[in-house]
Amino acid sequence: MLSFLLWLPVLGAIIIGFLPGKFEPARLRQITTIFAVIIFAWTIWLLTQFDLNNSGWQFSEYLSWVEPIGLSYSLAVDGLSLPLLALNGLLTIIAIYSIGENVDRPRFYYSLILLINAGITGALAAQNLLLFVIFYELELIPFYLMIAIWGGEKRGYASIKFLLYTAVSGLLVLAAFLGIAFLNGATSFDYDTITTQQLSLNTQLILLTVLLVGFGIKIPLVPLHTWLPDAYTEASPAVTILLGGILAKLGTYGLIRFGLQLFPETWSTVAPGLAFIGTVSVLYGALSAIAQKDIKRMVAYSSIGHMGYILVAAAAGTKLSILGAVAQMIAHGLILALLFHLVGIVERKVGTRDLDVLNGLMNPVRGLPLTSALLITAGMASAGIPGLVGFVAEFIVFQGSFATFPIETLLCIIASGLTAVYFVILLNRTCFGKLDSKRAYYPPVLRSETIPALVLTAIIFFLGIQPNWLLSLIEPTTDLLAINANQTEQIAMDN
Amino acid sequence: MNETFSQTIWLVPLYALIGAIFAIPWSPGIIRQTGPRPSGYINTLMTCIALVHSLLALLEIWHQPVNYLSFQWLHAADLNISFDIEISSINITALILITGLNLAAQIYAIGYMEMDWGWARFYSLLALFEAGMSTLVLCNSLFFSYVVLEILTLGTYLLIGLWFNQSLVVTGARDAFLTKRVGDLILLMGVVALLPLAGTWNYTELAEWAQTTTIDPNIATLLCLALIAGPLGKCAQFPLHLWLDEAMEGPMPATILRNTIVVSTGAWVLIKLQPVLALSPVASGVMIGIGAVTAIGASLIAMAQIDIKRSLSYSVSAYMGLVFIAVGTQQDTTALRLLFTYAIAMSLLVMSIGGVVLNTITQDLTQYGGLWSRRPISGICYLVGAASLVAFPPLGCFWTLTAIADNLWNTHPWLVGVLVIVNGLTAFSLTREFCLIFGGKPTQMTVRSPEGLWALVLPMTFTMGFALHVPILLSKWHWIPQWSNLNLNVAIPLAVSTLVGAGTSAFIYLNDKISKPIELKPKAVQDFFAYDLYTAQLYRVTIVFVVGLVSKIIYWFDRYLVDGLINLVGLATIFSGESLKYNVSGQAQFYFLSILLGVILFVSVVCFPLISQISF
Repeated sequence: MLSFLLWLPVLGAIIIGFLPGKFEPARLRQITTIFAVIIFAWTIWLLTQFDLNNSGWQFSEYLSWVEPIGLSYSLAVDGLSLPLLALNGLLTIIAIYSIGENVDRPRFYYSLILLINAGITGALAAQNLLLFVIFYELELIPFYLMIAIWGGEKRGYASIKFLLYTAVSGLLVLAAFLGIAFLNGATSFDYDTITTQQLSLNTQLILLTVLLVGFGIKIPLVPLHTWLPDAYTEASPAVTILLGGILAKLGTYGLIRFGLQLFPETWSTVAPGLAFIGTVSVLYGALSAIAQKDIKRMVAYSSIGHMGYILVAAAAGTKLSILGAVAQMIAHGLILALLFHLVGIVERKVGTRDLDVLNGLMNPVRGLPLTSALLITAGMASAGIPGLVGFVAEFIVFQGSFATFPIETLLCIIASGLTAVYFVILLNRTCFGKLDSKRAYYPPVLRSETIPALVLTAIIFFLGIQPNWLLSLIEPTTDLLAINANQTEQIAMDN
Repeated sequence: MNETFSQTIWLVPLYALIGAIFAIPWSPGIIRQTGPRPSGYINTLMTCIALVHSLLALLEIWHQPVNYLSFQWLHAADLNISFDIEISSINITALILITGLNLAAQIYAIGYMEMDWGWARFYSLLALFEAGMSTLVLCNSLFFSYVVLEILTLGTYLLIGLWFNQSLVVTGARDAFLTKRVGDLILLMGVVALLPLAGTWNYTELAEWAQTTTIDPNIATLLCLALIAGPLGKCAQFPLHLWLDEAMEGPMPATILRNTIVVSTGAWVLIKLQPVLALSPVASGVMIGIGAVTAIGASLIAMAQIDIKRSLSYSVSAYMGLVFIAVGTQQDTTALRLLFTYAIAMSLLVMSIGGVVLNTITQDLTQYGGLWSRRPISGICYLVGAASLVAFPPLGCFWTLTAIADNLWNTHPWLVGVLVIVNGLTAFSLTREFCLIFGGKPTQMTVRSPEGLWALVLPMTFTMGFALHVPILLSKWHWIPQWSNLNLNVAIPLAVSTLVGAGTSAFIYLNDKISKPIELKPKAVQDFFAYDLYTAQLYRVTIVFVVGLVSKIIYWFDRYLVDGLINLVGLATIFSGESLKYNVSGQAQFYFLSILLGVILFVSVVCFPLISQISF
């Protein structure tokens, strides 16, 4: 079942790649959409079949592949990876529609989008450390190509920087995995067989640090983040959505799956440092975003900040905070995708991303009223206004982390105030103000552009008002991961 | 006993939400044939239904014990958040006040916003406010109170920003959002910190917890100060009062709600939290201090304003300051009563001013004059509103102000003095506005200023009638003391201060021999009050400057130090017009160098425990 999810996009990419040249780009997009929708529908079906009371692996598949080096083709999902798989399926569809109909080299473009989908599915569903690394590394090629070919003016610069950084990330992760296996004398890299219990604490600490640096580049955390603003800004909206919405989540996924789950003992040693780095990322991202003049770059920096919450929550290690961390991954993926999608629309229609030029897009006659309304919603969701999914995730993060790291949590709350500051700057300049009616002859926003945004907005609202659907999926798995007592348990102990 | 309506009282916020959702199709571009008006009518109808429902529920619940309902909202790990509802006659009276005033504001807007293209947006936002405030008064949980306050902060931003193509509106919306958000987030810190201590967010259980807890006084103080911050922003108290004045750039019908009940939302939460806040004497002291400073400061500022709406808005801050004093001295019931009488009087004042602003096309007090003969209904309504707002027997606020002063008489006599001064200053300032608008001779702007449309006059006169009946209601509810119990020591100074304030003001402003405008000497003092104690400037050179500077420094750091080597090379290449040949020119080394530096930094932070062990 998971294999279908993995190989269908690959099949789709091959088919699209070999289609004869007479196909119109619009037709190619339809074909890609069909594949993407089938993939997403399959994920939804998996969601309905998922047993919420079972905290272990589900839908497992196993095929011993290259036994001598311990590599097996083994797939399964749990409450941590399945929501991310669903997010991956959804964002792929959104990404297909986040660029205009006429793309250069459309067959190549759409094939790459499907390949990205397959790579992320593979990394999320992999049950073998080596298999994970293979997908984690393979992923970079389509991303590199997409930034380098369809990016903005400085695409060459951004793509090389992205490739070098993330390749180093992959190498470090691989090194850590090899270290875990060899020091253990393990013959297989399967998740089930790998443990770190026998290793000395110092060895564990070294391995964990290597791993954290690897994933820290991917997330990215300050000071390993410098690839992000350039890559996000130069890439086309579709790539940015996939990059920020889901690829970066592989970093936090790895952090929880391999960092927290494999090193439960050492985790508490590095946790204060991680919480510190997370808080610095949160504040750094928010403050840098305030100084931006380019709306896409502003959203890119906001992403650094929001990923920092996940780190703080993961470091805190209570049931609630880990739940919040995973919820924040999903919430941030949805909100960031919506933001980048809308910023992409604004850029295509108005022709600029400059805050000093943009003005008055709320204007109902000449402006982009619907896009502006959705942009306000997205900005407010990102700023953590209740009723939207971002609030639920952030609140759980705050409440969960407060018991372990009170000061860091309070700083994160302050940073969420700074989030409001830059979004108000963005909205006031872009949506509010007086539209220059002499120059405002914008092409109409197509239905194929608004519908993805409306779908994302609806999900953001729905999960904000009824978060249980998301949380009950994640909770059984994250409950197992907790290493610290929760606050209410502490109250019970105190009494 | 039939309990249909009181048990389904949770429908009241939903009516408004349904109205808000139904308004969406009439936003620009979806339904074109009918124009945007049906959205307004739908919302008005939904508010009517909500009002009738609340009235029927009040009949059921009157003299009944308090009822509680609870819906589970979120269950995650060991965090259970349920939506608790308290059904009592006080809550439902508040619901009636909210829906009633919103109905008045909506009818008023039919006239006021007649030609506006933001009609659908405006009505759905009013509905959002109604829904939010109804939820707030019903819910019995601090968590949901916070949620509502935060959503209303967003609502304020959008509602003030309704006429978004004017630059003052845009900055007003921004300031309102950010100042309120500051308060909300500090409140959020309090909310997050309270749960591990108290184990609940339910107000009833919190009150019980506060009775028995043995919490460290320092923590209690910090906690209570955080909890006060949210209401502080909502109630426009010093130092977060700036937004209310700028909010006056928004449309007038929204001001009816904002000046009366939206600002009271903060006070409501404060009153609900009073048992917890009583844990910390410091917090009570802070509340009294802020309340007193705001009350006197804002009444002084109000007198120096030449914009009629802004002048009124400072009186709002002043009265909210009195509510803070009342809560700080543990008089939560009296504070609620003051809110009730205050809301009615203030809404009447705003409505009578609104019509004048609409037809005269100016808000500048110095350009008004001589409207008494042209708009007698507005004039009478203004007078009734003003008399109800200050301690003018036998109208509404006289009784509530007297009650507060009476309670303070033995414990904090100096606060009675504050009350008397604020009352006198408010009387002065309201009379000043009255004389400048309605008194004197007509000016160029007021020559043609007839009484407004029915939609403006109807809610206004209706509210006036209600305001005049408030004393009867008060005596029915036994809020008015017996004559023998009336503390004349406070009642007489209050009534006299009203007369003195109003009399002096009338003497100055109705007397043609005294040249206008009247300014304090030296000019610096006048400007100090006219420019709101220079708060906006103060913020600009302090917090705004600091955040802006820090963000610029961090961004500079990010670009030139963290990313420095790469950008240097990158920029050089771009400026020299060369294509980027990374491998050939060996620039890849720079990336690896910067990655290496980042990795070293990261590792040293993560491994800090290990490194510190080694050094031992």
